[in-house]
Amino acid sequence: MGQLFGESIVTEEHKHSAPANPYLEKRRNGEDTENLERRVAEIESLLIEKGIVTKASLDRMVEIYEKDLGPMNGATVVAKAWTDAGYKKRLLIDATAAIGELGYSGLQGEHMVVLENTEKVHNVVVCTLCSCYPWPVLGLPPSWYKDAPYRSRIVIEPRKVLEEFGTILPDDVDVRVWDSSAEIRYMVLPRRPLNSDKLSQDKLRDLVTRDSMIGVKLANSINE
Amino acid sequence: MNSEAAVRGEISLMEGGDALPRKSGDLVFHDNWEKRAFAIAIALYENGYYDWDDFRRILIGQIGASGETALNPMPDKPGYYEHWLNSLEELLKEKDILSLL
Repeated sequence: MGQLFGESIVTEEHKHSAPANPYLEKRRNGEDTENLERRVAEIESLLIEKGIVTKASLDRMVEIYEKDLGPMNGATVVAKAWTDAGYKKRLLIDATAAIGELGYSGLQGEHMVVLENTEKVHNVVVCTLCSCYPWPVLGLPPSWYKDAPYRSRIVIEPRKVLEEFGTILPDDVDVRVWDSSAEIRYMVLPRRPLNSDKLSQDKLRDLVTRDSMIGVKLANSINE
Repeated sequence: MNSEAAVRGEISLMEGGDALPRKSGDLVFHDNWEKRAFAIAIALYENGYYDWDDFRRILIGQIGASGETALNPMPDKPGYYEHWLNSLEELLKEKDILSLL
């Protein structure tokens, strides 16, 4: 498997990340904007008139893609594992199948492996050579995940990097860093927050953040 | 997957020159019309009016013709969603979608 601990291991072929998108800073003047608005409005009103879309469905579409819903899928997996021992067992044995049970699929031949955090073990995920990431459960990676500093430093000084994310672990916890690859995508099963026994799966899901499933943070505590 | 629309990898994960503009993983829109144009293209696709590859082919052509790349930014060239809107209009014509509605 791709576990690293304190040293870098170069795994097989990785696809390298593309450079930054050139469109982030583009701005138009008022006249251009008006023209563009008019062109879009023409198409939109035609589609609304024909009953193909509604204003609300277009808004909803944007919302879904803006947030990518990815982390929410992962959070659902985690909350189910926290409350259903049978599911958790299946998840740790064959994550691809257990995640598929909830309807999340779309990996292209890669296997999912879920790593359980415990009192004694804290797992963190990285892709040292590019930015392999389990997108069906976590959505798109945050930019720091793709940046060289995280990719190299999390391997060399994991505790220091975790501290920078505000995650301070007791000395006796074994920190394990896992290197994703074209074949295997990792996701962390964070520890269930203290005193959360009475919470429903939905409420638990709200405590599961993207960062906690990458392993750079813990799940939110109940008061957060 | 849920009965409501889901994020589709073939759209969300487009790579290369046609990758959706993002910051920290989230999509970046500058104006409301960009969001509308984005959603319209996806809604038509989800309703089966065309294959995503058809749209993508036109979009890649538009972006390619502008000559702008990540390594060679050209501030005066059209933004991503101008290319997107041009592609949407071209696709509507090419597939004669408006007459099908």
